[in-house]
Amino acid sequence: MRNRLVRLTVALVTMLAFSAILSAQTAAQQGAANSNQTQTPAHAPDLSGLWAPRPDGIRINTWDSSDPFGGKPELAPMTPWAAAKWKEARPPFGAKQTFADINDPVQRYCDPPGITRIWMYPWEFTMIQTPKVVYILYEFTRVWRSVAMDQEHPKDPDSTWMGDSIGRYEGDTLVIDTVGLSDKTWLDHTGHPHTDSLHVVERLRRVDPNTLELGVSIDDPKAYTKSFSGKKYFVSTSSPMGEALCAYSEMDSFQKSVIEPATKPTGK
Amino acid sequence: MNQKLLSVFVIVAGLLVNSVPLFAHHGVAGYDLTKTITLHGTVTKFDWSNPHCVIHMDAKNANGEVQNWAIELAAPSLLTRMGWTKNAMKAGDDITADLHPAQNGAPVGISGTITFQLKIVINGQPLPTR
Repeated sequence: MRNRLVRLTVALVTMLAFSAILSAQTAAQQGAANSNQTQTPAHAPDLSGLWAPRPDGIRINTWDSSDPFGGKPELAPMTPWAAAKWKEARPPFGAKQTFADINDPVQRYCDPPGITRIWMYPWEFTMIQTPKVVYILYEFTRVWRSVAMDQEHPKDPDSTWMGDSIGRYEGDTLVIDTVGLSDKTWLDHTGHPHTDSLHVVERLRRVDPNTLELGVSIDDPKAYTKSFSGKKYFVSTSSPMGEALCAYSEMDSFQKSVIEPATKPTGK
Repeated sequence: MNQKLLSVFVIVAGLLVNSVPLFAHHGVAGYDLTKTITLHGTVTKFDWSNPHCVIHMDAKNANGEVQNWAIELAAPSLLTRMGWTKNAMKAGDDITADLHPAQNGAPVGISGTITFQLKIVINGQPLPTR
């Protein structure tokens, strides 16, 4: 009887000890899983923080490095299709800038600017880096996008405003590859069009502790006879992001009180 | 020689003024940026909203007739960074405002964007400028 009691006690203690080890292992695994969702890999460059356009880049209107301010937007290597579309554009900036009857989809309809043009607005953005996804949050229109790290694009992505973005780290640089972009957006402030075959590669890196460099490469063989690229710089800021939304009712009110009177042929 | 130097200075100064970067989401093609005028009058309304804040004010024209002006400013988030608040002014306040007028002569103008803010004085107190 006494031997049975001893054997039972030993078995119970063993079970309890084993259970404690299992429990500790499960907690550790759970912790690691949670940690994977919130921490960046050790080799990833830290691109976090609030970033605002460097003052010398506020007027950048195109991604063509030979014409960043859009003084000669007609020189972009457009196909005949793109050149015809561009002629129809009535943009707010660049050599063709106008105030009247603008057909800029952002200004006219509050459309999302799309991923290449969003970088041209003079508002801030921030990045949240996790091992599986990098999130980019833009102050202008409060749009955000996700970049799936170390993944492949889907075989036949939908066409969307922000596209399908995948990313990888190359040394100190985050490289983002995007396809699946809706052709409703303009590439830039001067009205350069694109098709849904647009392929964009963005490269983001810190060039010093307070400066971020963005390189944008555009490849769209249906719209441009060759690929082209441009750069823009951002500086670290402590100003929190505000509500720079495009609300159609506010846009309409502004249109009626400022734009329409200023574009009526009467006056002078 | 001195006159030559002065001419060069004037040309360079002109180029610098013209190269001041401007940004409003709709562009500035509708405004005469070579001209700055000063209005004095009374605030009738202050829109602290996107896409741009707008001051509405009454001011007398050269014939003594009261005109209601709309003066464009930067967006609220950008003005906040410059030190403005939604309480910067209210209807009934005395206002003196510098602005670039509309090209077509309408009582509309622009006094600020992300890159500049002209002088605005409310009840004798100047608001922050760039």
